[in-house]
Amino acid sequence: MLQKKICMLGAFGVGKTSLVRRYVQSLFSDAYLTTVGVKIDKKTVTVGNETVTLLLWDIAGEDDVSPIRMSYLRGAAGYLLVADGTRAETLDIASSIQSRVKAEIGTVPFLVLLNKADLQESWEIGRDAMHGLEQAGWSVVRTSARTGAGVEEVFEELAKRMVS
Amino acid sequence: MAVVSLVAKPSGDGGEAAPEALHSKRLAALLLEVARCMDKDVAAVLPSRLDADPRLEALRSVLIEQERTLLARLQKKIDDPQQFAEAISEVLAAAFELAGLRDERLAAVIAPTMERATQASIRKDPSQLVGILYPLMGPVIRKSIAESLDGTLRGLNQAFKHSLSWRGIKWRLEAYRSGTSFADVVLRHTVVYRVEHVFLIHRKTGLLLEHVAAPQVAAQDPQLVSGMLTAIQDFVRDSFAGAGSSGGGLDSVRLGDLLVWCEEGPYAYLAVVIRGNPPESLHAVLHETLSRLHEELHGPLQAYNGDGSALGELSTRLELCLKTQEQPPEKGISPWMWALPLLALVLAGYLIIHRSIEASRVEGYVRNLQQLPGVIVTGMERHDGKWHIHGLRDPLSADPAKLLGPAKLDADAVVGQWEPYQALNPAIVLQRLTATLKPPPSIGFALDGNTIRAVGTAPQHWMDRARNYIAAMPVGSPPVDMAAIKDIQDPNFVRLRDEIQARVITFDTNEPKPANGQDEAIDKVATELSELIRVAKDLGFSVRVMIVGHADATGRETVNLALSNARAEVVRSMLRARGIAPYLLLVRSAGALEPQQSAAAGQPEAMNRRVTFTVSTSD
Repeated sequence: MLQKKICMLGAFGVGKTSLVRRYVQSLFSDAYLTTVGVKIDKKTVTVGNETVTLLLWDIAGEDDVSPIRMSYLRGAAGYLLVADGTRAETLDIASSIQSRVKAEIGTVPFLVLLNKADLQESWEIGRDAMHGLEQAGWSVVRTSARTGAGVEEVFEELAKRMVS
Repeated sequence: MAVVSLVAKPSGDGGEAAPEALHSKRLAALLLEVARCMDKDVAAVLPSRLDADPRLEALRSVLIEQERTLLARLQKKIDDPQQFAEAISEVLAAAFELAGLRDERLAAVIAPTMERATQASIRKDPSQLVGILYPLMGPVIRKSIAESLDGTLRGLNQAFKHSLSWRGIKWRLEAYRSGTSFADVVLRHTVVYRVEHVFLIHRKTGLLLEHVAAPQVAAQDPQLVSGMLTAIQDFVRDSFAGAGSSGGGLDSVRLGDLLVWCEEGPYAYLAVVIRGNPPESLHAVLHETLSRLHEELHGPLQAYNGDGSALGELSTRLELCLKTQEQPPEKGISPWMWALPLLALVLAGYLIIHRSIEASRVEGYVRNLQQLPGVIVTGMERHDGKWHIHGLRDPLSADPAKLLGPAKLDADAVVGQWEPYQALNPAIVLQRLTATLKPPPSIGFALDGNTIRAVGTAPQHWMDRARNYIAAMPVGSPPVDMAAIKDIQDPNFVRLRDEIQARVITFDTNEPKPANGQDEAIDKVATELSELIRVAKDLGFSVRVMIVGHADATGRETVNLALSNARAEVVRSMLRARGIAPYLLLVRSAGALEPQQSAAAGQPEAMNRRVTFTVSTSD
């Protein structure tokens, strides 16, 4: 049995928790997020012939007063960096988080999720910005917690990258 | 610097002679030497010419001059302890680091030396080590004291709780026999726990390495639980242990009856969920298991990246931690066991109360009995569950059993044993009088003090009987006064009696048969007599008639007597012939001894030859 710890990271309110709620196996209530600052869910995906169990540490969103607890990142085999496509500044926060994560746990596979893809009319991240991110080596995926678009694929893709 | 050339400088004057030939010779020698170097066989047969050649030494010094100097310096460094120590000191730290990384041998090798060094240091100057340990000692001692106090308190609590019970007494005996303290014995018997879950968790990632659960224990998703447990550990460490502290997180968490113990290892930790109160020795079991796992799986644990295949089978090892200590089957006293003595107590109370009530009732009953005329209680006792009352009782007295009802006593519970006797108590005597004499309704008896007085009217025959009876009463009986009774007779009876007694049957001289014309008188007597008998019978008594025969004074007395007897007998048989029962007829011969009073006037002797009748009553 292959298990991997992955983290969900991002600014406060980008929809991390909503993103996983419909797709994962949960045991704990969301109250842990506000108390302990993390909530753990489970997601099983198949990579090739192998079943990979992803232990998903949904880490409380970062805001001005509470930075992410880096100790929760220890041992993560990959992470999902979530930003809100309708709020450009969340991408900056994601970028800041990414650099700190890299310093803390080194280079591990990660994907950048631009969430709320269903809200096209208020979308703030233009083609140039996307292009810039891809230039920097980031894999960017548009997701929507509401429609579910891209969510399953994100988990599978990250699992694939971590296993290979 | 020397110049080396294959061509040696000509020496002496022979050099000029044949330079060509000399060159060839030297070249040949050189080639031979090369051949020697290349082929061992050649070297064996050909002697080396180099040793003899001083130029070789020169060549050697030219070639390895630098290395020689270096080697000499190194040699000097090694030979000189001071320099050698300096050299080693430069690399020692790095060497230790590398050796420590490679494996555990360094630690094993160093440990004995370290121990000796520590011992030596302590021997030399203990204060040194005290100084070093001082910052540690405080927390260590505090923790140790806290733990042992905790254990002692728990032991004390248990000891207090159990010191006075029956089980407590048994445990005291056990402590006495085994030579341990009572508190220890109590602790041993009351430590009841069950390890329900054992999680082996990779410390760094929080990934579950293995999970085992006790049978019939519901388990939440152990992977999620182990992740969250790790997160909470991190949270506690971050929040309370302070930055940079690598110390352990939670040692134990108690949630009501559930206890979570964490045993930390370098790469993995054990988290066990325990229900109840585990003994401290369980810590040792956990520690042992974790240490062994780390020893055997050091590499795989360190390199673990989510793929558990390198770790192999872990569950059987973890199952060793699934310890359970059952509560000794408590022979709890069931509610019934409490109810039984209670019931017995209630029963006993009821019996006692019942008995005392009964006893007081019996006493009252006996008091009443003693008031009863004709009853004398001589004793009472209780055996075979019954009251036995014995004494004397006049059969005419009131039945003692009749007093049981008013005394609220069960007839089965009281047995009377009465000897019959005749009481002289006036009331009883009165009763006896009444029972024996059966007085007619016209007679009434009453007690006047100690005297029995009879009033009313009674026939003569009853009066006769009563007087006879009273006269026969034993000495000491109460006097019976019958003076107030008026003698009354039935008028028919009186008339018939008087008529019969007035009848005279006359006889001729010296004749036993009645004179002629007397048959009518005899018929009348017979008629009257049978009527009298009927009247008397109606009145409840019988009558007898004495037939008295008389003779006149003439003739001899004996003859007269016989004659008078014959006359009475004849009349008797004549009456019998007329239907009178003979047993009612008595015969008496008066001879000439009872002459008629009026014999002097007229025919005295004729009036004396007669038969007369006397009526008597009898029962």
